[in-house]
Amino acid sequence: MRTGAPPANDAQPVLLGNGAQPSPGIQEQDLQRQERFEDELIMDLERDQFVAETSRPVPRAVLSARVTAGLWALRVFVVIVSLMVIYTFVDQLH
Amino acid sequence: MSTPEVAAAPLLGQPRLTDEDRARSRDRARVHNARRHSKRWYLLWLLVGPGILAMLGENDGPSMIAYAADGAQYGLGFFVPFIPVLFAMAYVCQEMCMRVGAVTHRGYGELVLQRYGRLWGWFGAGDLTLTNLVTLVAEFVSIRVGLAYFHLGAGVAVALGLALVAFTLSGGRYWRWERIVLGLALFNGLFLVAAILVKPHVGAIAGSFDFSPFPGGSFNTLLLLLASTIGATVTPWMIFFQQSASADKGMTPSDVKHGRYDTAAGAVLAAIFGLGALIAGAALLTHNGAGIEGFAGAGFPEALSHVAGGAVGTVFALGLIEAGAVAILTISASTAYAAGECVGASHSFNSSPRNAGVFYAANAGIALLAAAVILIPGAPLLSIALNANVLATVLLPVSLVFMVMLANDRGLMGAWVNRRSTNVIGIAVIAFVGLCGAAYGIDSFLQAIHLVGS
Repeated sequence: MRTGAPPANDAQPVLLGNGAQPSPGIQEQDLQRQERFEDELIMDLERDQFVAETSRPVPRAVLSARVTAGLWALRVFVVIVSLMVIYTFVDQLH
Repeated sequence: MSTPEVAAAPLLGQPRLTDEDRARSRDRARVHNARRHSKRWYLLWLLVGPGILAMLGENDGPSMIAYAADGAQYGLGFFVPFIPVLFAMAYVCQEMCMRVGAVTHRGYGELVLQRYGRLWGWFGAGDLTLTNLVTLVAEFVSIRVGLAYFHLGAGVAVALGLALVAFTLSGGRYWRWERIVLGLALFNGLFLVAAILVKPHVGAIAGSFDFSPFPGGSFNTLLLLLASTIGATVTPWMIFFQQSASADKGMTPSDVKHGRYDTAAGAVLAAIFGLGALIAGAALLTHNGAGIEGFAGAGFPEALSHVAGGAVGTVFALGLIEAGAVAILTISASTAYAAGECVGASHSFNSSPRNAGVFYAANAGIALLAAAVILIPGAPLLSIALNANVLATVLLPVSLVFMVMLANDRGLMGAWVNRRSTNVIGIAVIAFVGLCGAAYGIDSFLQAIHLVGS
């Protein structure tokens, strides 16, 4: 599964246009601006749309014995017919 | 599905959002603005995409050749009403995919794997990879056939297909990828232009809506026709693709209505363009399909240019190039979604290649593998192209059964579960597809081992 924590490279350091490190005051302002921006972005996503949320697996369903048997029967049947189609395809090549 | 504690988690930590969240959030902001200001057409424009791409992506090279071959060998009767019926079936299946993707925000592969067990998830991914690889080879063949009309070779076909994959993957945004592929997909309308250029008899088209005359020939030929025509309309990759793309686009339950419009528009356009290929191919009927027999369908552009004029041949050839190119993009994407979902890696066009390596590698890798196959000297490319749809039809019922199960799972879908009528139609589609695929597979096999005569 994807990990809940976002990748490390998502944390963008705040740099000035010339690449110099900002002063603490400017950095604080930029961080606040960034926080406001991200707050606005968060409001546009539904709660269960976040990567952190969709990374959590959904609980396993309990299938009855009849459903499980039916799925296996269908799977075996499909594999057999697929092998027939592949055999016919190879046979037609000769 | 969600709890307040979990949902609040991204608000507390630093950094709060992933790149994927940010990109999706920007797309959702535009949707919310359009909805807030009642810009109905703009809202529709923002929300269309996965449905049209799934349907027009399935109007791929082998499918258009199959429709044209139907027209050339049997005429318009039976197939003119049959193709729309098949796309109505496709709508029922794809609407379920869209709805499950919008409600759960998860792809088909990961839901099957998590909900029903790893084994079933990997079976599904295995089926998908096999059919996608075969179909992708067929798409490169289709581009090669189209380019051959312009005296260009296999190398150009490979270069064109791979360049498109690389170009569309380079943006790091789902929105960009979707809009580029949508723009290309609209050129599927070239088949309609080809149909108009052959100047069909409108009365004959209208008169063929009574499903007659029924195609003649042997029982096996009829089964092959049904299996390949069904495989030209509904396939496993479409199921994986539309659900995952709907989730990647950021669709929510409030978008389901527009998702239905999107899917319906895709079905209508695909049916019209498919009928275009059928009608263009039918121009060869009076010539007994002359010119296509020896080339197993690959000689259509050339044959059409002799019978109906150079313009028809050119348009049909360009259509085959477009159909192959768009399908390469959508089918590679479905493989990438399935790969990312099954191994639990990031699987979004909104993630960068660095953060979603499996997704991007699978997307480019399967296209590269298929491209390599068509460069093998003496490879049975046309046989592969003709059998691609049949294999997809045979493997489809399992994917459809899980789709119906997911769409009925109240724990996942809540109030958005299937209606009874949707289930009845869905089960009928599964039975019909399963019966046609199995009947062809078994009958062909018995003929191959000489237990029954042809």
